Amino acid sequence: MATTGINYIPAKLVLLGEMGTGKSSLVLRFVKGQFFDYQESTIGAAFFTQTLAVNETTAKFEIWDTAGQERYHSLAPMYYRGAAAAIVVYDISNTDSFTRAKKWVEELRQHGNPNMVIALAGNKADLVDNKQVEAEVAQTYAQDNGLLFLETSAKTAQGVNELFLEIARRLPKANPTQPSRMIVVDRSSERLVSTSYYCC
Amino acid sequence: MYGGAQTQREVPIIWDTRDPYLKPKPIHRKTNITVKFTDLYGFTVEGNVDDVNVLNEVRERVRQQGKAWWELEASKGANWYLQPKISSISEVAVSNLKISVLANTLALNRLIRKGIPPVLRPKVWLSVSGAAKKRSTVPESYYDDLIKAVEGKVTPATRQIDHDLPRTFPGHPWLDTPEGHASLRRVLVAYSFRDSDVGYCQGLNYVAALLLLVMKTEEDAFWMLAVLLENVLVNDCYTDNLSGCHVEQRVFKDLLAKKCPRIASHLESMDFDVSLVATEWFLCLFSKSLPSETTMRVWDVLFNEGAKVLFRVALAIFKMKEEQLLVTHQIGDVISILQSATHHLFDPDELLTVAFDKIGSMTTNAITKQRKKQEPAVMAELDQRLRRLNSLKEEK
Repeated sequence: MATTGINYIPAKLVLLGEMGTGKSSLVLRFVKGQFFDYQESTIGAAFFTQTLAVNETTAKFEIWDTAGQERYHSLAPMYYRGAAAAIVVYDISNTDSFTRAKKWVEELRQHGNPNMVIALAGNKADLVDNKQVEAEVAQTYAQDNGLLFLETSAKTAQGVNELFLEIARRLPKANPTQPSRMIVVDRSSERLVSTSYYCC
Repeated sequence: MYGGAQTQREVPIIWDTRDPYLKPKPIHRKTNITVKFTDLYGFTVEGNVDDVNVLNEVRERVRQQGKAWWELEASKGANWYLQPKISSISEVAVSNLKISVLANTLALNRLIRKGIPPVLRPKVWLSVSGAAKKRSTVPESYYDDLIKAVEGKVTPATRQIDHDLPRTFPGHPWLDTPEGHASLRRVLVAYSFRDSDVGYCQGLNYVAALLLLVMKTEEDAFWMLAVLLENVLVNDCYTDNLSGCHVEQRVFKDLLAKKCPRIASHLESMDFDVSLVATEWFLCLFSKSLPSETTMRVWDVLFNEGAKVLFRVALAIFKMKEEQLLVTHQIGDVISILQSATHHLFDPDELLTVAFDKIGSMTTNAITKQRKKQEPAVMAELDQRLRRLNSLKEEK
């Protein structure tokens, strides 16, 4: 694929959130277009790269997918240090995971890169029958805290590319004048450029 | 799903390690395409024809190594390797141990570095690790009693274990079955009650799963897990804030700077923290990164010689890829090189030769000193983080 004239923006992105909210599945859906019902539990973190073209620029995501268990959180600073973006993930069928997500947002606001683009992802949106966290509640929280918010489903792919695309649009630095709600995107102007992944 | 548990755990896991040589189809010999095959422990592995050839060579060496063990058994007597051994040469001066015991210890150390035949692993691991001794200090019914006592109890640990069972080596022909899940569950749940400071830590699922495949019975796997966490590894590797793991990572960084200075300074110039890759190696004891027989060979030495073996192996992986690592400019490339190196390390001797012959000396005393030196810094860092998080709560 021709890359001349493309302005690559390298962007470190970290995924945070409680155990089993689907962080690895979201990444796998975005990077490889795959989904497995049982995704191996992540230890430490797994690393992936994916480039995403948005209009004239191309974001090169260097993605750190972190382990969710509470005791692993002492490792998190190593992964979010210097990150341009973060996706904080909760499971729409689990209220506790939403509470934990809010704590992550606070930590990132205090100790992350000040220009960090933070997205809140309500994952497992396909589990409508078991829904515990209403989108309106999460949306309000996101607006109050200047976060990008989207409900996603790694299983059905709902919202996944849109999530990364919207993050890419806001790079390299967050633009506070942009509305925090999702914009309907023109799919013709974007494409996935290349993909590679490594889990470590 | 876990009904009938009481009878299942009595049954040894049937695992055939004598499967025939791998024969890639002819078409694969002409091209360099990736083939899928099943390894000694039932894992599906992807590799090229060279990898298959290496794996066949390794199988042949395992067979030869088995012969060496049988021959020694014939000359030294059955179970000679289960006799008490001397843990370090310096003990000789202060002990009245016979020369033959010393000779056996040295012979055993050498043999173990060359690999324990898979069929002897359960017996030898239990002995050299101290697990058998640990078990002998409690009533014989300990494990059964523990299982019965905790049956049906629900704790945060059991919930997390249940969540991880189908996510532990999914697709494995025994681990990913109802029986496999039930066995793994009992071992992990039992341990979570034995040591409530550890409870359940993600990563132990992979370790316990491999222990089950090797040891064949749940009870033996349980005792190996216990001796590993309580005696072989440093303290607090898996407890609430993984402080032991943080200590090991710092010691490892210092060792890398000392043993592989060119790599260390190159990675530092790229702002690459080696813990980004090494954390998983240490917490899963390489089980998620190395091919299964290579992992088992690392564990052979780990159980016999102790946790410093992990440093040697991790250093060896970096050392083997030195030239490639020195020309990288991006973090992704570093990870890709290490990832591909570990996944294709089908020849355990290649790794262990570097680990033991090319790294130089590394005494237990020096490592212990290093750990002692790092502990206060780790505790201070973890405390500081806790205080910061608490102050966030108060502000709210």
